Amino acid sequence: MAERTGVIHDLGYRRYDGPRDGTATIARTLYVTGLRHAFGLGRSGKSKILPFLLLGLCTLPAAIVVGVVTLISLDELPIGYASYTTQTQLLVSLFAAAQAPVLFSRDLRHRSIVLYLARPLPAPVFALTRWLSLTSALLVFTLLPQLVLYVGALLAGLDVSDQTTALLKAVALLLLTTTVVAGITGLISSVSLRRGFAIVGSIVALVVVPGVVTAVQAIAQAEGADDVGVAAGLASPWSLHSGLADAWDAGVTVFTPPSGGWVVAYLAVAVLVAAVTTAALVRRLMKVASR
Amino acid sequence: MTEDGEQVIATTGLTKHYGQVHALTDLDIEVGPGVTGLVGANGAGKSTLIKILLGLLEPTSGRASVLGHDIATAGEEIRRVVGYMPEHDCLPPDVSASDFVVHMARMSGLGASAARERSADVLRHVGLDEERYRPMGGFSTGMKQRAKLAQALVHDPRLVFLDEPTNGLDPAARTDMLRLVRRIGADFGIAVLVTSHLLGELEQVSDHVVVLDAGHLLRSSATGDFLEQTGSLLVEVVGGTTERDRFGEALAAAGLPCRPRGTAVVIDPAPQLPVHDLVRDTAADLGLGLMRLQPDRHHLEDVFLQGPASAQQEVARG
Ligand SMILES: Nc1ncnc2c1ncn2[C@@H]1O[C@H](COP(=O)(O)OP(=O)(O)O)[C@@H](O)[C@H]1O
Ligand SMILES: [Mg+2]
Repeated sequence: MAERTGVIHDLGYRRYDGPRDGTATIARTLYVTGLRHAFGLGRSGKSKILPFLLLGLCTLPAAIVVGVVTLISLDELPIGYASYTTQTQLLVSLFAAAQAPVLFSRDLRHRSIVLYLARPLPAPVFALTRWLSLTSALLVFTLLPQLVLYVGALLAGLDVSDQTTALLKAVALLLLTTTVVAGITGLISSVSLRRGFAIVGSIVALVVVPGVVTAVQAIAQAEGADDVGVAAGLASPWSLHSGLADAWDAGVTVFTPPSGGWVVAYLAVAVLVAAVTTAALVRRLMKVASR
Repeated sequence: MTEDGEQVIATTGLTKHYGQVHALTDLDIEVGPGVTGLVGANGAGKSTLIKILLGLLEPTSGRASVLGHDIATAGEEIRRVVGYMPEHDCLPPDVSASDFVVHMARMSGLGASAARERSADVLRHVGLDEERYRPMGGFSTGMKQRAKLAQALVHDPRLVFLDEPTNGLDPAARTDMLRLVRRIGADFGIAVLVTSHLLGELEQVSDHVVVLDAGHLLRSSATGDFLEQTGSLLVEVVGGTTERDRFGEALAAAGLPCRPRGTAVVIDPAPQLPVHDLVRDTAADLGLGLMRLQPDRHHLEDVFLQGPASAQQEVARG
C-alpha cells in the first residue's frame, strides 16, 4: 500500500494537495459554463450559429429603431420595451426551444448526469443551477435589445426617468416570463431526450398554444365574452406576459386584458408554473440519475 | 497489505428492495485499503451497492459508511473524496476527452488551472495521450473506458468505484485495464472497489475479494485465501480424454487417490507415497508425455461450487 503523501511515485502519479472549491463555487462554475453553452460558447463552432443568428435577428430591429429615433428626433420610442419582447416573442421562443435541450437533454441522453451527481453538488442544486443558466440566457437574449433601445433613447435625449421606469417595468415582466419559459422548455427537454422532439414540444408550448390563445381572445372580444378571453390567457407564458404588461400599463395591448382579481390570478399562475416545472425538473434529474 | 486498520467501506444490514426485487439483503461488508474485488453474476447487486454508497440511491434499510462518513448524512463529503466509473456509457460524444475531464475536475472542486494540469496527467496515466483532443464519440470501447476512468481519478480521490471496467473489452484491452486497476491501488495509493461478473478475472489484481450472490454476501476474504493451495496435485498428459483416463487408471492402480477434472487429473494428497516419482514413472511406462504438473489451487469459481454453507464460516473475516 503506497502511503498517501505528496511523494512523486516512480510511475509519475502525482497527488493533488491543493485547494478544493466548496459547493457554492462549484455551482457558480456550472452556472457560468451552462450560460456559455446556451450561446454555443465553449462548444463547437456549429453550435454558435443558431443562438447568435437568433440573437442578431432579435436585436437588429432595436438598432434600426434607435437609428431612426436619432435621425428624425422623435420625442418617444416608436415601440415600447415590453411590447418589443411581445413583437419578438417568436424569436425568443425559438431560442428557448433550441437551446433548452443543450442544458437539459444532453446530460440525460448521454447519461453524464450520473457523473455530475456522483460529485459534490447535490442533485437539486445541480438542477436549479441548470435552470438558472437557462433563465439567465433567456434574460440576456431578451434584455440585450431593450438595452440597445434604452441607450439609444437616452442618446436621442428622451426623458431619463420616463425611459427608466418603462425599462424597469419590462425587466420585471421579463424576470417572471423567462422563469416560466425556462421551466417549461427545461422540463420538456428533460423528458423528451431526442432533441427534435424536445424542440417540437417547446414550440407547441411557446408558439402554437399562444397563437391559439390569441385567436380565442380575439373571438371572445368580438363576441363580447371577455372573461373567456381573459381565462384563456392563463394557458400560455406569452399571454400571461402580454396580459400582465397590459394590466400594468407597460405599453402592450391585448384583446382581453385581465383586471382586478384576474391580475392576481395571472401572477399566481406564472409563479406556480415556474415553481412546479422547476420542482419537476429536480425530480426528473434525480430519478434518471438513480437508474 | 490490507491490514493497517483503516476502514474504507463498512455496511451493516444494508438492504435494497426495488418493489418485489430484493437487490441487496442484509449486507454486512468491510472493505480496507488496496484493491477490493466485488464479484457476482449479473443482477447480484454490485451496481446497486455502489450507487447506495455514492448516495445516488437510498437503501431500504441498514447503514453504511465510506471513508468514515455516514452515507445517510454526509453524502456530499463522500462524493468529494470518491471517484466513480459507471458501468454504462456516460460520455457526451461531441466533446473531447480533454475538455470533458477538465470540466469534471472542476465539478469536483478543482480550480481552472489545477483541473487542466491534472486532466493532462491523468489522461496520460490511463493511456489517452494522443487521442485526448478528439471528440469521444469516435472512441473505441477501450478508449471510452479509459476516458471514464480518467474522470474518476482526475480529482485525486481517496477511493474509486470501478463498475465493470473490463466490460466489452477484448482480451488485450482487458489485461491493460486490469493492470491499470492494480496500479491505481498499488502505486497511486487510491483504494479501489472494482466489480466484475467474471468470477476469475479479479484474482490477480485484488487484495481482497467480496462475493455477492443474488444480493447476499457469499464470502469476503483476502484473495490469498481463495487461492491457497489445496495440497492436491494437478497433472495433465498429452492427448485427449482417452489418454487422460488411461493415465488416471494407472495412477489409481499405483495407489494414488485421483479423479479427472477437465483435461487434467487431480491427485489428492497421499503423504506416504513418493507422488512425483510415481507420476513420472507411470507416464513413462504408458509412453505418455507429461504436459503439466502443478499444485492445485482454489479459484473464485470454487466458492460457488462450495456454496453458501461453507462460505458462512469465512464471512466473519471481513
Ligand atoms: N432501477 C431498478 N429498478 C428495478 N430493479 C432494479 C433496478 N436496478 C437494478 N434492479 C434489479 O436489482 C438487481 C441487482 O441489480 P444490479 O445492482 O444492477 O446488479 P449487478 O450490478 O450485480 O449486475 C437485479 O435483479 C436488477 O434487475
Ligand atoms: Mg452492474
